[in-house]
Amino acid sequence: MLIEFRDIHKAFGSKKILRGLSMGVGKKEVFFIIGTSGVGKSVTIKHLIGLLRIDEGEIHFDGKRIDNLSEKHFYPIRKRIGMVFQHATLFDSMSLRENVALPLRKHQGMRPNQALGKADELLERVHMQDFIHSAPAALSDGMRKRAAIARTLAMEPQIVLFDEPTTGLDPVNARRIDRLIRELSDELGVTSIVVSHDLTSIFSIADRISFIYQGKAYKSGTRQEFECCDDAIVRQFISGDSHGPLETPGF
Amino acid sequence: MSLTTHIEALGSKAAGAGRAGSRLAIIAAKSMSGVFARDSPKGEVARQMYIVGNKSVLFIAITMGFLGMVMVIQSGGQINRVTGDLSQLGPQFLKLFIQEFAPTITALMLATRVGAGIAAEVGSMKVTEQIDALRLSGITPTSYLIAPRLIACLFMGFVLTVIAIVIAFSAGGVSAWGVFGLNPTVFFDSSMVRSYDIAIGSIKTICYSTAIPIISGYCGLEARGGSEGVGTATTSAVIGSSFAVLLLDFIISGIGLTIFGGGV
Repeated sequence: MLIEFRDIHKAFGSKKILRGLSMGVGKKEVFFIIGTSGVGKSVTIKHLIGLLRIDEGEIHFDGKRIDNLSEKHFYPIRKRIGMVFQHATLFDSMSLRENVALPLRKHQGMRPNQALGKADELLERVHMQDFIHSAPAALSDGMRKRAAIARTLAMEPQIVLFDEPTTGLDPVNARRIDRLIRELSDELGVTSIVVSHDLTSIFSIADRISFIYQGKAYKSGTRQEFECCDDAIVRQFISGDSHGPLETPGF
Repeated sequence: MSLTTHIEALGSKAAGAGRAGSRLAIIAAKSMSGVFARDSPKGEVARQMYIVGNKSVLFIAITMGFLGMVMVIQSGGQINRVTGDLSQLGPQFLKLFIQEFAPTITALMLATRVGAGIAAEVGSMKVTEQIDALRLSGITPTSYLIAPRLIACLFMGFVLTVIAIVIAFSAGGVSAWGVFGLNPTVFFDSSMVRSYDIAIGSIKTICYSTAIPIISGYCGLEARGGSEGVGTATTSAVIGSSFAVLLLDFIISGIGLTIFGGGV
């Protein structure tokens, strides 16, 4: 496995989010983490890049333990693992090409003009070549998400983490993002870990899926295994039925 | 609640305050080292100087103008009732403003206007995960966000304090002439100002201008949740910065009096 979470525990104050989560992600997989809101899906992936720290357990990446690294030692890991956030998180004071060029200058030490040239190429890859000089605020959510993906790809990461990439997008833009995620895996060999509730995405592009419930990986398997799964809790999540054994925070 | 529960709650609060203090110290150290790292975007320091300086100057000018007039009228009235000798009104007014009022009142106004702005901007970046995105881009948020604001506050803090002194002294002189008929040549007398007064005023300005962006930036970086978290961070920044200004004023004035005898 390229990534392994081993018996992860994480709490925020008295609220225990992860309670012994274990799962693994293979190379070049499109791996979906699913589960109800507030179950700890985004929290799980943020541990991989040191944005959050686990309370107990171990995280291994490419055979090395990374959960105990200092902020400084996470820098090389962050060059290999990129993340596309839920809200795109482009910097409003910069144009799209400047946003994409920023990590190239800071992480790779490229000169400004060289970084901007590479940024233009990356924006073309995500079909945003006509908007390189636009400010993020002038674009739609779908366009901003694509630009955010281009910025993440700037580091040529081995792994890309997607936090709810299709949330808030219309179906057409959502499927475009799905296609982009699949292309990254098929054409560039990128491993994608996707946090999502979007069942259309899940059942169209996932190689494997892990369903988090009550702080643990309740079920992991291929999308075919999930489609045929007869577990009442998994079935209720997939069907979206409001009645059933699935317990959700706040209900 | 039992005594044990009270002690546990107290201990928990003390531990929380200790953690917050250590995080603030780390952010302060990183922001100060970030001044030399030059990680901020091109032109950011100039942009922040404009926000801190140009956008605060009218607010400060009006406040200090009125404060200068009111102080002269009030103190002049008192002196008139006791001795009637207004010859020291201007020189003492200037001494007091250089050493105490101009740096402190200017800083309190900056804490309100600039501190709130810094906390709101950094806080909204925090809750929308832009700070995390910065970290992933290989950028230290303190160097990128707080350091340019720190430089701008340090520079413009001095400029605004000088402007505050000039306006308050001028407005005081005009009101002394208008209300008491005091000759401007008597009022506009700087003979009582010692280098000690200028040094204390300058030290206060440096300390206040350092504390405001660091405390406000810290509050922004600690923001949690959504818009409510940004609101809480903004309020905390104004309260924290204002409190820091008053505390620093007490400490610096106390040290000045203890060690140098108030420069007398």
